[in-house]
Amino acid sequence: MINTTILSWVTFIYFAAFVFYLFRMVLGREFWGKIATSTALIGLIAQSVALVIRWKTSYDLGMGHAPLSNFYESLIFFAWTIVFLYLLMEQRLKNRSIGVFVIPVAFLIMAYASIAPGISNRIDPLIPALQSNWLTSHVLTCFMGYAAFTVAFALGIMFFVKKMSAADKNKSPAFFRLLPAESMLDELMYQSATLGFVFLTMGIITGSVWAHYAWGSYWSWDPKETWSLITWLIYALMLHARNVRGWRGKRMALMTIFGFGCVLFTYLGVNLLPSLHSYMN
Amino acid sequence: MSKNKSGLWSFFSSVQLAIVLLSLIAFFALIGTIVPQREAAVELAGRISPGLFSFLQKMQLFDLYHSIWFFLLLGLLSVNLLICSLDRFPLAWRRFRSQAEPQKADAVKDLPAENTFQSALNIQKVADAAANLLKKRYHNVAQANEENSVFLSAQKGRFSFFGVYIVHLSILVLIAGAIIGSVFGTEGHINITEGETAGSFNLRSNNQSLPLPFSVRCDKFIVELYENGAPKNFQSDLTFIKDDKVVHSGKLRVNHPIEVEGFRFYQSSYGVSPEGKATLTLLRDGGRRDVINVAKGYAFDLPGKEGTFQVLRVEENLMKMGPAIKVSVRSNKGEVTFWVFQQLDKIKEANPGITEQIPMFNPSLFRPYTFTLLGLEEKYYTGLQVTRDPGTLVVGAAAVLLILGLLLMLFSYPRQVWVKIDRQQDKALISVGGRSHRNKAGLERELQHLLAEIKDRLENSK
Repeated sequence: MINTTILSWVTFIYFAAFVFYLFRMVLGREFWGKIATSTALIGLIAQSVALVIRWKTSYDLGMGHAPLSNFYESLIFFAWTIVFLYLLMEQRLKNRSIGVFVIPVAFLIMAYASIAPGISNRIDPLIPALQSNWLTSHVLTCFMGYAAFTVAFALGIMFFVKKMSAADKNKSPAFFRLLPAESMLDELMYQSATLGFVFLTMGIITGSVWAHYAWGSYWSWDPKETWSLITWLIYALMLHARNVRGWRGKRMALMTIFGFGCVLFTYLGVNLLPSLHSYMN
Repeated sequence: MSKNKSGLWSFFSSVQLAIVLLSLIAFFALIGTIVPQREAAVELAGRISPGLFSFLQKMQLFDLYHSIWFFLLLGLLSVNLLICSLDRFPLAWRRFRSQAEPQKADAVKDLPAENTFQSALNIQKVADAAANLLKKRYHNVAQANEENSVFLSAQKGRFSFFGVYIVHLSILVLIAGAIIGSVFGTEGHINITEGETAGSFNLRSNNQSLPLPFSVRCDKFIVELYENGAPKNFQSDLTFIKDDKVVHSGKLRVNHPIEVEGFRFYQSSYGVSPEGKATLTLLRDGGRRDVINVAKGYAFDLPGKEGTFQVLRVEENLMKMGPAIKVSVRSNKGEVTFWVFQQLDKIKEANPGITEQIPMFNPSLFRPYTFTLLGLEEKYYTGLQVTRDPGTLVVGAAAVLLILGLLLMLFSYPRQVWVKIDRQQDKALISVGGRSHRNKAGLERELQHLLAEIKDRLENSK
């Protein structure tokens, strides 16, 4: 199918964008940064086109659903939201240094979607429970949340890299100089986590409304539900610790990494547990 | 109140407690995803010692989310949330009430150079232009004129002080709604075969039967399949009857529940009913051939009075070999039981000699008869989820409040701004400053924007 062909090209485009971001950081020349941004943008546009084609194809096949319904499609959409959110952020902050940490995550997710065994890239018909308008809003909000948490995680990693380079003052290659200041990373981590928290809240609520219509109960302690609640609690804890207890810097960076672990488990690890949300059955 | 806070009050108003409780709830939730819960726990019973199992059961480890421990944590969190909010609300209220006044213009003292600029216009004109702009962008604009300077003040986003309290309130309402649901709500399941009527359902918690205040008849059940065999759509035509009167009737589809007298019905599953009929032929060696319809439990005497024939089981797909029925024939020589397959020819083709090796698969086991299964008349049952949860509306209200509160916090922040205009000979020096408790970086950007806009206006009015 043409859409999967485009999507496998997008994987390489994101890899190229990552390499260009890396060139910029190592060589310290904004020229590479501009190329990296353009490349990422081309990747995002190509990916959007592929998603639209896939959507249309599903209608042509008589199934007619948004490309958000199986594991493959969710991975692709996850990568899309990460790049989308990142480019928005780059545009707003006028700072390209974050790209070298965020874009590789998107690339890895795309690569995983294409090469991991057992992931079918076919367009599958929807079982009756999934035939709902809530599917789109639920998946959209959840993945916007996941993407914001991913960005926060990348910022947390950057924070530690920056901290390490600050401890070692003798040598400061362009790479470390170009990283944003610790205080700015701290602020950005907080903002990304807040954004993710709001989207996750909406994702849980739209999911509950849907469950209320489909399964007869807005909450049934399904492992995926429970893990999304755990993730929500962890980020709630983090926001309180910062706003009221004044946690900053290292502690916040640790929390973004820990929180991202919970996000990953909610998304992937839960498949190891019996669940109504299981992608693999 | 602030003077004599008791120890209990300060314990419950601490955010450390909130952090500990959030961690504990997260931890409990995690345990519940690892230890099998409710129905799934039965399987564990066979693998651990009965003593340990019953101990863990007493500790409510197998129904963690409805256990006393979990309710205790939620109760503590609720009290913590309430006391925390009550403790801090007066400060938020004071901040909400505090006006940006021109006289309190500390914020425009010692400003960095980028927050000031000079204009050739006279001070009054500058003040008018700035006041107009502030009125457009902000609320509560006030002005104070002094001999050589004009002070302007304004504010915005005051209501977002309440965002966090709305969020906290929503969590309390949510917990209340969940408790209402778990105390007054019920949840269960019924299977109704096409054409039949049910007047009760099985509770999920203990599998006991609970009567409904009306009866439900399944008039028809339809399932559509995709080419790959996955269900595309399934639905039941239901009629709800009370005192011999139809109170409601309609199609029940997945994702589209029907509510009758506070009970919500969901189309959750379906299956082939064990009450299906089978069509059978009897061939007597060199004699007559009979076609009969049978069902499970059905018995009759064979035409030549050789014995009594009975249907023991009806299977739609036995061991992936297609439809089959298990029958027994009792005669004065004893009892023989065997399976009669519909697709016997196919089975024989795939496994030559099977009827000789496994006599139970031989439909001619009772001489002089040979039985053939012509087909099963499939009858579906519809699986309905039944719930009654009076807390749902409360939880829904909580969800709306929660999103409202979060949006108020995310998209708005309280800030006060001041513009000071000083006379410098025949020119005016404009300084812009502000104050925000929550978003200093955002305020800085906004002030630069405001500054540029004032500059722009002054240049255009020249």
